Amino acid sequence: MSQAAATSAVSTDPSRRARLAEFWYYFSENRGAVIGLVFFLFLVLLAIFAPIIAPHDPTAQYRDAVLIPPVWQEGGRAEFLLGTDAVGRDMLSRLIYGTQFSLFVGVIVTTLSLVGGIFVGVIAGYFRGWVDTVIMRVMDIILAFPSLLLALVLVAVLGPGLTNAMIAIALVFQPHFVRLTRAAVMSEKNRDYVIAAKVAGAGHGRLMFKTILPNCMAPLIVQATLSFSSAILDAAALGFLGMGAQPPTPEWGTMLAEAREFIQSKWWVVTLPGVAILITVLAINLMGDGLRDALDPKLKRS
Amino acid sequence: MKKLTTLFAATALATLMAGSAWSKTFVYCSEGSPEGFDPGLYTAGTTFDAAAHTVYNRLLEFKKGTTETEPGLAESWTISDDGLEYTFKLRPGVKFQTTEFFTPTREFNSDDVVFSYERQLKADNPWNKYVTGASWEYAAGMGFPEVIKSVEKVDDLTVKFTLTRKEAPFLANIAMPFASILSKEYADKLQAEGKMNQMNQMPLGTGPFAFVAYQQDAVIRYKANPDYWGGKQKIDDLVFAITADASVRYQKLQAGECHLMPFPNSADVAAMKADPNLKVMEQAGLNVAYLAYNTTQAPFDKPEVRKALNKAINKQAIVDAVFQGAAQPATNPIPPTMWSYNDTLQDDTYDLDAAKKMLEEAGVKDLSMKVWAMPVSRPYMLNARRAAELMQADFAKIGVKVEIVSYEWAEYLDKSKAKDRDGAVILGWTGDNGDPDNFLDTLLGCNAVGGNNRAQWCNPEFDALVKKAKDTSDLAERTKLYEEAQVVFKREAPWATLDHSLSVVPMRKNVEGFVQSPLGDFAFDGVDIVE
Repeated sequence: MSQAAATSAVSTDPSRRARLAEFWYYFSENRGAVIGLVFFLFLVLLAIFAPIIAPHDPTAQYRDAVLIPPVWQEGGRAEFLLGTDAVGRDMLSRLIYGTQFSLFVGVIVTTLSLVGGIFVGVIAGYFRGWVDTVIMRVMDIILAFPSLLLALVLVAVLGPGLTNAMIAIALVFQPHFVRLTRAAVMSEKNRDYVIAAKVAGAGHGRLMFKTILPNCMAPLIVQATLSFSSAILDAAALGFLGMGAQPPTPEWGTMLAEAREFIQSKWWVVTLPGVAILITVLAINLMGDGLRDALDPKLKRS
Repeated sequence: MKKLTTLFAATALATLMAGSAWSKTFVYCSEGSPEGFDPGLYTAGTTFDAAAHTVYNRLLEFKKGTTETEPGLAESWTISDDGLEYTFKLRPGVKFQTTEFFTPTREFNSDDVVFSYERQLKADNPWNKYVTGASWEYAAGMGFPEVIKSVEKVDDLTVKFTLTRKEAPFLANIAMPFASILSKEYADKLQAEGKMNQMNQMPLGTGPFAFVAYQQDAVIRYKANPDYWGGKQKIDDLVFAITADASVRYQKLQAGECHLMPFPNSADVAAMKADPNLKVMEQAGLNVAYLAYNTTQAPFDKPEVRKALNKAINKQAIVDAVFQGAAQPATNPIPPTMWSYNDTLQDDTYDLDAAKKMLEEAGVKDLSMKVWAMPVSRPYMLNARRAAELMQADFAKIGVKVEIVSYEWAEYLDKSKAKDRDGAVILGWTGDNGDPDNFLDTLLGCNAVGGNNRAQWCNPEFDALVKKAKDTSDLAERTKLYEEAQVVFKREAPWATLDHSLSVVPMRKNVEGFVQSPLGDFAFDGVDIVE
């Protein structure tokens, strides 16, 4: 998703194809980024086709098959490849459906904070003066709190649940986008092409969003990718603390929290959701690194 | 600073003693820090284990391993014919502990008893407010300020209690930890020195172990009281190593760093039983976990609807998934080990089709409800969310949609008391004194509506039976009344009774003489380590 956005943002000149090829050249230089991208695409496919791929309903409880170990261990059963949890739900199916929630959280949170952050940031950077001061001080206040703590407070006020958790995390991530956008807008604002557009009679709205904004996109895309993984991690943390997704939603953090007591006896119930969170976040972060290499003009070696 | 030095000296002394070859040190990996060391002020079992059962004694004590009372600091007692006057003959020759911080000059007498009770009952007693926010919650909960008219000293070894009304459970109540007997002489000394707070930090009593030192969240040290009226303990030192996490406690026990631990993870119990260095004691706990409907909320005001839902709860599945089998499905609101348990009653069988039909007959369609799940693990319900998820799945099969809600623990307890609460709440109770009154009236009586009666259930027939049983002193008569009350309870079904859990205590193989208390206490008098 972010890749598609990336290409369309960079290629403002006619040779779209050439730009894309250049982007891919730099991106594929980074082996880790390619692996990350491949794994990410795999997760997207898993999420989309979860109902077809998953062998069981993620909330169906098989009362005769409680805490069955994975198939390769003694006592495992072929119908439950990765075993079952404490109430007899298939771990594999829950993990697959969990992909949906994690990616959904990532997409929604990133979109919310990206759109909000860009809008507020452009206004702050373009108008400066007291508008800028007010906006930036509010952002400073939000930044002053540790992000998870603030998210916890917001969820405690709004009430636990996946939707509220997403709103809270999006709010917490907002300032990063605002700051980036504002800085980029400030450096672009006095360039010749902007002045030219102004002389030609462009209004504030057109100047802000049509003329300046497209030239500020590169750092925002990188930040969006990194926020994507942070959002997944924060949602899992909130779920772990009982403030995120509510049962029987197969969200990874919630699954992890509910299996804590088995840490010494039934490893698969605890380990698998943790591993899922780990590799997803790792893949997205690797991809983000590659995007930065490809999009940041300072890192280009041509 | 001076206090600190004393503390250091005491710790050093304890360490020295622990190091000597002939002293026996018993280490208990306790589950948390006590709230304080004055048992009257608090309600948590953790506090009672650390203060009441080690340092203090009571007039009556619970006989080890039972809920029956036996003479403690009182040797004998007489009850007047109208049941309002209790006269206690105190045990002669009982010495208070001699410690680093206090040396008693006199033996235990009736002044100590009067002092220990009056500070909890009378607002004008100088010790009534000696700790900021002192509320004597337990005494208030048992109705002591209304029930006890006066506590009088007759002579040095005789005390007379006068009650305002007949109270059958009274003798059991004064055997409870909050009614521990403190030293008046020690209190007077602290008051004169203006250090009243010390009563709650460095306790001094007549019990089997004397307090040595305490470090919050780390360790509490005691030494055996050589002057104990029941004889000196076989172990010389007792140490509470405070370890909040159950997995860590288990590791310490495995490594031999402690001799005994409370509240293991149910998932670990099988491995503990298989370990040749450990032994595991199990006992039916004096507790019940329940799902309390709000009986004032439609459609849960109809007994048919409640009974239909009860039929759709698979209790065995809850016992298996939450306790790994270390519990039994509950039929009645009181545990089967308690006297007056009515074993003629049949539980609602798990039958989804019948449940569905009953709901249809009651005219309930498309029902959606909230189920409140406790955020913490308690002995009677280790994982309420998991139990709620099991109910959610079963209720879905009879067309009832369940939303599981949870709040922070203190908020949960508070919000669930509200009369207009939306939804059914999972909660439980551990008995305090082994009397059925402590379950049936405390949890289901009319005067507990808006408080402990989470079902908000006021049934005149049930209430009359329970109140009558309270006024009766004849045990056979009381048993009959309570049995009848359980029949009414089962017919009206204000709760779905879920389970009575087993309490499991793992310990090292060489521990001897530990007796499990049905009340959930951990007391270490009589415990020995054999090599």
